[in-house]
Order: sequence, then C-alpha cells, then structure tokens
Amino acid sequence: MVEQELRSDKSGYMLMNKPGYPRVSSWPNLVWVIFLMMLFITILLWGVSFLAYAPLEEMAEWAKTPNPAKAPWYFIGLQELLVYFDPWIAGVMLPNQILIGLMLIPYVDITPAEQGHYGWSKRRFAVAYFTFGMAFWFALIFVGQLLRGPSWEVYWPIIDYDLTGHTWTREGVPLKQGALKLASLSTGTGMALLIGFFSIGMILPFMVTKLFPKSRMVQELDGYLKELGYIKYFVVQSHVLLMVATVVKIILRLGFNIKYIIETPWFKI
Amino acid sequence: MSEHQSQRKTPAQKTLDLISAILTDNPIYKSIFRTGYPSTLLKRMAVMRSSFYMHIFPTKVGEHGLRLRYSWCMGGITFFLFLLLTLTGVLLMFYYVPEEHRAFNDMKDLRFMVPFGVILRNMHRWAAHGMVLAVMLHMMRVFYTGSYKAPRQFNWVVGVLLLLFTLLLSFTGYLLPWDQLGFWAVTVGTNMASASPLVGYEGPFHELLGVQVDNDIRFAIIGGTRIGPNALVRAYVWHCVGIPLVATLLMVFHFWRIRKDGFSGPL
Repeated sequence: MVEQELRSDKSGYMLMNKPGYPRVSSWPNLVWVIFLMMLFITILLWGVSFLAYAPLEEMAEWAKTPNPAKAPWYFIGLQELLVYFDPWIAGVMLPNQILIGLMLIPYVDITPAEQGHYGWSKRRFAVAYFTFGMAFWFALIFVGQLLRGPSWEVYWPIIDYDLTGHTWTREGVPLKQGALKLASLSTGTGMALLIGFFSIGMILPFMVTKLFPKSRMVQELDGYLKELGYIKYFVVQSHVLLMVATVVKIILRLGFNIKYIIETPWFKI
Repeated sequence: MSEHQSQRKTPAQKTLDLISAILTDNPIYKSIFRTGYPSTLLKRMAVMRSSFYMHIFPTKVGEHGLRLRYSWCMGGITFFLFLLLTLTGVLLMFYYVPEEHRAFNDMKDLRFMVPFGVILRNMHRWAAHGMVLAVMLHMMRVFYTGSYKAPRQFNWVVGVLLLLFTLLLSFTGYLLPWDQLGFWAVTVGTNMASASPLVGYEGPFHELLGVQVDNDIRFAIIGGTRIGPNALVRAYVWHCVGIPLVATLLMVFHFWRIRKDGFSGPL
C-alpha cells in the first residue's frame, strides 16, 4: 500500500530514500533470512556431497592425451569458439573484451533512474543486448560441454564414447571435421567485408533515423542516440558489432565453410 | 515487553523469560555481546551496532531488502560458499601435498582413508561449482534490476573483477588433484595464454619482443614449457594464498560500498 503510494510520486527519488518507506529492524528480520539461507545452502551442499562423488580420473600422464580434452565448464564456451576463431581471438581477445565491456556497462548507461526493480520497458536495448550475450555464452557452454565428443565433433550427449585412444575414428567413417574442405576469403574481399561491416554498422542506426523519421520506434531510437552522445555511442556500438561479428563468423564457418575472413602471414581472423 | 502484556503471560512463557534472563542478563554474556537480549527495538538496534560481525549490516533495512524474489540472495550465497570453501579448503590442506608423485595419492587417501575425507572433498568441489554459478546469477540479478547505476558504478566494476577471481580460483583448483581431467583441462586453458598477441609464443607479432616458448606468458604462468611439478606448486600457491587474499580485499571493498550506498531498492 505504502509502496504503491510512493511509487505514484514522480519526484524521481528512489523509493527507499523517501521518508515514508517501510523499514524494519535488521535484528531479527534480516539476520533470520541470512541464517536460514546459510542453513539451506549447508544442507543442500551436504546432500549433494553425500549423493555425488567429486570427479577423479586416473593419474595425470603427459603421454596420454584424452580425446577430447575439455576445459572446465565455465571456460568451455571459449574452447568452443576455437572452432571458429584462432586461439588469440577466442582465448585472449574475446574474453578480455567481454570483461572490459562488462565493466563499462555502468558508464555508458543513460537511464540512471531505472533501478531497483525488474522491468524492461524503459531499458529495452540494454536488457536485450545483455540477455543475448548471456544466452550466447551459455549456449556455447551447452554445445561445448554436452554436444562435443571425440575430435570436437558434434555428438548426442547420451552416447558413451571410448575416450582411451589417442585418435578416434569409427571404422570406415572419416572424421567429419577433417573431411570438410574449408576455404578462406581473398585478402581484398576479406578486408572489404570487415571494414564494410564495421563502418556500415557504425552509421546504420543514424541511417535508419534518416530513412524512416515517422516511425515511433525510430523516433525513440533517435532520442536515445541524441542522449547517448558520440563517445558513449562509439563504445556501445563497437561492442554490439563485435558480438554480431562473432555470430556472423560462426554462420560463415558453419554455413559456407569459410575458415578465415582475413589471412595474413602474421595473424588470421 | 510492556507492563500490561506481561500480566497475560502463561507459566511457560514466564519460564522462558526466566531462562533467557539467566542466560543473557548476566555479566559474562554482556561482556561478550555488549548488549543484553535484544527484546526491544532499541536493544535490537544496539545489538547490530555494537557487534563487530553484525556491524556490517545496517540497523534497519527497507522491506525490499528482505524479499528473496528481488535479490535471489545470490550475493550472500556466493559469500557463504566462499566461507565454506575456505573452511573445507583449510581442512584439505592438512592432507594434501602439491607434489607430482604424492598429489594424486593424497586424493585416493582422502577418498578411502581419511575420516570424512570423501565428504570434505565432495563439499569443496561442489561448493566451487556452486560459487561460480552463484556469482554469475548474482551478476544477472544486479544487471536486470539496474543496481549497477549511480552511485554503484564502481562497485559493479569490483564485482566483475570478483567474477574473474572466482573463475581463476576455480581454475587453479582444477589442477590440484593431478588427475587426467584437471591436467588436460589446465593444459587446454593455459595453452590459450601462449596465443596472446606479443607476449605469447604462438600469438601474432611475438617475434617483435623476441618471445619464445621458454620466455613467454605461458612459461611465466606454469613455470615450464608444459604442465609439470612447477605448475602444480604455482596453482597451489595461487589457489590457497594469492587469489584468496586479493579476492578478500576486493570483497571487503565490495561489502563496504554496499553498506555505504545501501541496498538498491524499488523506485
């Protein structure tokens, strides 16, 4: 009741900072919640630890490479990206850029008042972008952890494969990945494609606002872009394009068997 | 309890009052906890303010701070799992020696010889996975409620660093059992470092700095050109001392800022 009354007040202050907001003493209300949470987690952990053994395989041996050798689940998304990118992108540049991008979020967000509650009506772009990023991350983990078998081929998770050998082939069936003929784009095409993608991507939102000035959604976008300013826009849009480019590269590799977009003696993208 | 209420008390309640008075209303209890039994609002406030551990919490909280459907309790669960991991980790250190020929046998001993060794290692392992998951869910909760916005921008940055250190803690622990699973997972993981531009021997432009297999970033991380005894000791020291120290310092800052800025609440 009090909350609804305070919410209807549009002065812009956070509800919890208004004088009438209901407060209770931390003892015992908060302490009780914390105690119950601790109890619940302890019991849950005990239960799981009684039912499931921590994995332990045979002793480490340099000469016996398992196929596949998988990273821990939280890094397996990056390992899965190795199918589509060279290690310096999948293992170094992208994770660093993800961390930097996450840290930049509060500094490029321009809706300071929209906080303290769930709801996406006033921050559609932010929520959509973050959700897509998280879903992408967990999808890569899902594929890498559950759908990848020997030689990093796609397999169904319920089938038990013999992992003891150094290489894995079924008799008469060539490895799918090895059988693929991958091609790279010529340097000129690749450069044009990459530069074209990022420059068109950078000006695309502005073009849309010029082309369809009457649409309500576009007017909203226009207001958003004006409020954002050029520096913040550049930071946000370069991260958006980087994520889109990652998805595009995956599509090019899976759909068109393209291995590299740019191939130079020093680095390959 | 005010006067008129105490008159209606049943004998059982009177006995309970008497017991709690004997337990809490004495010089020894007060010398430890500074305040008597927190029966009144004033004493409840005092008990939060005058206790070293409780002082991290405010004396009063907005009701939204208690709602599980708002906070999911994920930050608290992450920290509690960190405490459980510290406790079980210290106990595991009594039995575990990070030495190439002993480490794996110590795992077997924990499973078959050490009393409660199985439950100890299982708890440590599952709590570690739980902490990685909880810290990710905590980040999602903070994002979806917009709680990273002013004045909490920098605390979000510290939170991202804590996410990174949680992953590194879990990753360094992965090698310690010295079994095939951890050995090859860490081999895969650290091979990524050798692909770093400039500082990795397989990365672009590494020739510019004269970087080779025996002086690149991966060599510095694992103390050799492949995972061996040096890598095991390094993983152990980072896992048990280095990263927990840094993470603890960041956590202290993280919690202090939450206390100063308040729980984010409904607008």
